[in-house]
Order: sequence, then structure tokens, then C-alpha cells
Amino acid sequence: MIDYRRIAKRLVISILLLTVVCFDQQIFAQDGKALFQQNCASCHAVHKDLTGPKLAGIEERVPDKKLLHDWIRNNQAVLKSGNKYFNDLYQQYNKAAMNLFPNLTDAEIDAILAYVKVQEANVPGAKGNPKTDQDAKATSSDNTLLFGILTLILAIIVFTLLQVNANLKRLSDEKEGVPAYEPVPFWRNKAYIALVAVILFVIGGYYTIQGAIGLGRSKDYQPEQPIYYSHKVHAGTNQINCLYCHGGAQEGRHANIPSLNTCMNCHMAITSYSGEDLYREDGTKVDGTAEIQKIYKHTGWDPDQQKYANEPKPVEWVKIHNLPDHVYFSHAQHVNAGRVACQTCHGEIQNMNEVYQFSDLSMGWCINCHRETKVKFTENKFYSIYEKFHNEIKNGTLDSVTVEKIGGTECQKCHY
Amino acid sequence: MKKISIIAVCIGALAMTACSDIKRKPGRAYMPDMADSRAVETYTDPRTLQDKNINYTGNPVAGTVSRGEEVIYKMLKDTTGSYGPAASMKNPLPRLDTVALVEAERLYLINCGICHGGKLDGNGPLYKDGTGPYPAAPKNFMSDDMKKMTDGTYFHSVTYGKGMMGSYAAQLSPKQRWMVIHYIRSKQGVGAGEAPAAADSTATAAK
Repeated sequence: MIDYRRIAKRLVISILLLTVVCFDQQIFAQDGKALFQQNCASCHAVHKDLTGPKLAGIEERVPDKKLLHDWIRNNQAVLKSGNKYFNDLYQQYNKAAMNLFPNLTDAEIDAILAYVKVQEANVPGAKGNPKTDQDAKATSSDNTLLFGILTLILAIIVFTLLQVNANLKRLSDEKEGVPAYEPVPFWRNKAYIALVAVILFVIGGYYTIQGAIGLGRSKDYQPEQPIYYSHKVHAGTNQINCLYCHGGAQEGRHANIPSLNTCMNCHMAITSYSGEDLYREDGTKVDGTAEIQKIYKHTGWDPDQQKYANEPKPVEWVKIHNLPDHVYFSHAQHVNAGRVACQTCHGEIQNMNEVYQFSDLSMGWCINCHRETKVKFTENKFYSIYEKFHNEIKNGTLDSVTVEKIGGTECQKCHY
Repeated sequence: MKKISIIAVCIGALAMTACSDIKRKPGRAYMPDMADSRAVETYTDPRTLQDKNINYTGNPVAGTVSRGEEVIYKMLKDTTGSYGPAASMKNPLPRLDTVALVEAERLYLINCGICHGGKLDGNGPLYKDGTGPYPAAPKNFMSDDMKKMTDGTYFHSVTYGKGMMGSYAAQLSPKQRWMVIHYIRSKQGVGAGEAPAAADSTATAAK
């Protein structure tokens, strides 16, 4: 009896101890993560050199634990003491001074180092490749082909049935003794010829007129750019605002093409692409990392030395949206006063890997929008000078003001 | 009969391939005389100007101040990394009214929010607790050390970049930068009670 009790007691105690130890370790690792995120992660990553070197393998590089602790707490003192390894490192990273962390305790530093050690095993990059994108594309293009083939088959069936019908009629006529006409082959049959002529005329006329209207417009123009820049990845997946790069749209006529320093704001740190697979319109796969490397070639940035070491040369982007010179268009007016969303004219740009011209940019398209769009009249100070309309809205005689009403379809608004 | 069906299939196939093409060329124009500009347009390759004996360099002269600039900042980039000399600078703008604060918030969300987060917690969509593409942790503006950091240090960091962060001088005008700093301060609850004494500090900044 007593023996059992003792065993049970021991068991309970050991289980308690075990859970405490496990739990304790978990807290330990969690703490390390929080401390790392809070103090180190702005400049250091585990697997990548950033402002400072990567931390994977730090305990092998600096085996002296006390020195490492001293360095983390007060790196300036260690540098002054003339330690060769750290002085070389300081030179290598362009003398970027590390912050001082005098308040970190030994236990906290150990927690951070333990977290780094755990993270060393998780090498990023080895991810499954989701193929959904291409599959979806393949099926969508298959559909149109399928419909086309179906239409064609149906047309052939109709044609054969007509022929069969004619043959049967001839046979029955023969049976009944109705004098048979000389069978006229269908290509000499006047009804057929007339039908084909009319169809050809309609189709030909449609394409001729469409072609003539399309002259000088380039709807759906989708040139290949020197760098495969995916708006879907940047504006869609990563939610970067359009105005982050194209800030000129709120300042002046042109929504500027961002200069390369805007790219480098992020791509100084983001050196590789590891998201969903990307494909060009013709189906070839894109190496995202190689496309990012192209920026470095153009800016002259050397990722190894972490500085601009080479001669920069501009990227020759291909302009897609071209307005004729005889029309004036200002982005700022539409973005600031009109509060028009970018997508209204440029389409679902956040879903485009390669940008194409969404609107035909024809005058009819401009005018149509000016006729239909109701300006945000009351909540926008820009329109405060239109007192008559404001009064009419107050009286209830007018419910909304279109762009046309405030002169948006006057010739001189855009042509001068 | 057979011939006809073969021809029909051929025409159908031709029509289909013609339709599914990707449009890599802009297409033709009829008499584009008034569509193409004779004047030099934005983004014209400067090398074409050289051929016409026009000397043009895209870079402004050092020390150029843009027209209508209200706040001029002359301090050069701090190479020591301490950002010390800029620390004593004061925000030359008076405290923002609600309209200006909305504008400052908009600028913050466009330019800063993607990394530093819409809640200023250093966890924007590019970082997402380390799962986003950005490898370095953006600063948490709500942390104590960032609350203690002076306005001047903020301004210098935004102007010239710090650590992995690039310079935002091209994206935000000096006035906009100070507006964003006001916005961050108002969210942090730091310096909210400060009197809007702007006149003298504007003078020092404009020197």
C-alpha cells in the first residue's frame, strides 16, 4: 500500500517536472523569438545578410561566449579593444554601427541565440510549387478552342443534313415519278452562292470597319518589358499602393514611371522571389529572382559589397498608354479632383502579371465617361465655385452633376 | 464534300490562331502627323537629344530647391550612423488640423504602411510576422525606443534612409515628411500637448 503510494507520488512529481521543463523551454524559445524580433530583426536575419551579417552559425564563428555577449551589449567597446574579427566585420559592412543593448541580460541573450539556433534548421526556399496558375490558364484557353470546334462541327452537321435532305427528296421524287431536275451541285447553286456572298460581305465588312476604327488605337497592347515586373505580385499580393511608385499621378500630368531608387527601397533587402510561379503570356516560366537581379545590374548595386559599386544605366521600359499629342490629359486632375480610381481606366491592374492597355483611349471613350460620371460634388471643395448647381441641389431640382455639366465635353477642355 | 470540309477546318483553325494572339505590337496608325509630338516629350531618351546638339542632363544642379518648396533641409547624410546632429531639429510645421491629419494618414499608409503597418506596429503586409517577402523587421513605432526618438532623427532617417530602409526624399517632399512625422507622433501620443510654436523653428530650419 505504502509502496504504491510512493510510486504514484513519484510518478506525479516526475510528470509535473517534465511538463514544467517542457513548458519552460517553450517559453524560452518564444521569448527568444520576441526578443529577436524586437531587438535584432531590423538589421539581422537568420539566413540572409542585411544591414548586418546573417546570424546562422554565429556561435561557431564566435566560439567565445563571453566575447559574444560583450559584443551584443556594447559593440563599440569591443571594437575599441581591437578585436580583429569584429573590426574586420565592421569594415566589411561599411562601418554600419550596431545599436547598443546594455539592458539585455545573459539569459535573454542566450534565449535569442537559442532561437537563432532553432531557426538555422529552417532553411527557406524549399517550398512546393503551386501550379494552379498555369492550369487555370490552360483550361481558359482550352475553352475558347472547344467552343470553336463545337461550332465548326455543328456547322458541318447542318451542312451534311441539308445535303442528305436534298438527296432524300430527290429519291422520293424519283419514286413518285416527279420529273427530276438536273441536280445542281451546291457550288453552282445560286441560293448558296448568294448566302456565302452575304456572309463574306458581313464578316469582311465587320473586320474592315473594326480595323479602320482601331487604327491609331492600341487596346490590349501588351508589350514585353525589359524587366518582368508583375503588378499582380506587387499591387495584388503585397498590397503596395499604386501611388507608392506612381506618386506623380497626384502631382502632375504624368503618372511617373518610378525611378530605380523606388525599387531599391524594398529590393535592397528582397533579393529573391519565392512566391507563386510566374508565367509570361506565351506560357514560358519566369525566374523571379533573375528579374530582381536585373535591377541591381541597372542601378549598379553590388549585393555582395552592399553598395552602389558599378555604373548605372536606365531601364528602357516600353510605354503602353500613349495619347496623341493634340489632346491634353492630366492625371492629377482625375486623381485629386475627380477621385477616379486607377482601375477605372487601367483595368484590374492588381491582377495583371504583364500590363496591357485596358481601355482603347479613344475620344468616344473619354466623352462617354464624362457624360456618365457623376462628380463627387458636395464633398469635394474643388467644385465649390459652381454656386448655381449647389443651389439647385439644395432646392432639389438637380440630383447629380455629371462631368459634362461642368464643361467636361467642351472641345477646349482637352484640345488647345 | 471531303474537300469542302478540309477547307472549312483549315479556315476555322486559321481564324482561331489569329484570335488568340498576344498583342505585342501597338498596331498601326493612319496619318499620325498630329499624334506624335514634335516637342520633346516626357521620358524621351536623352541620347536622341545629344544627336540634335541639345545638351541635357537629367540631374539638377547640387543644392537645387524645387519651386514652391516651403521647408528646406540642407543637412547632409550622417555617415557615422548615430544620426546625432539631426536629433535636435524641431518639426517646423504647426500641429495638424483634422483635414491635414487625414492627408498625413493617407501619405503614411501609401508610403510607410506597407512595412511599418497600418497600426504603426512594424508589421505591414510586406513583413507579416516574418512570413512576408521583406526579411528585415520594420521598426515598431509604438515601442518605447521609437517613442523616445526625436523628430529630427525621424526626419533624417526618412530623408536619407536608415539600415535597410531606403531614402524617401524622392517620394515625400520635406513638408510631407514633417506631416507624416506629426501623424506618427499623434498616434504614439508623444508631444501631443506641445504648443504650436512654429515661427522660430521654421526660421531655424530654413537657414
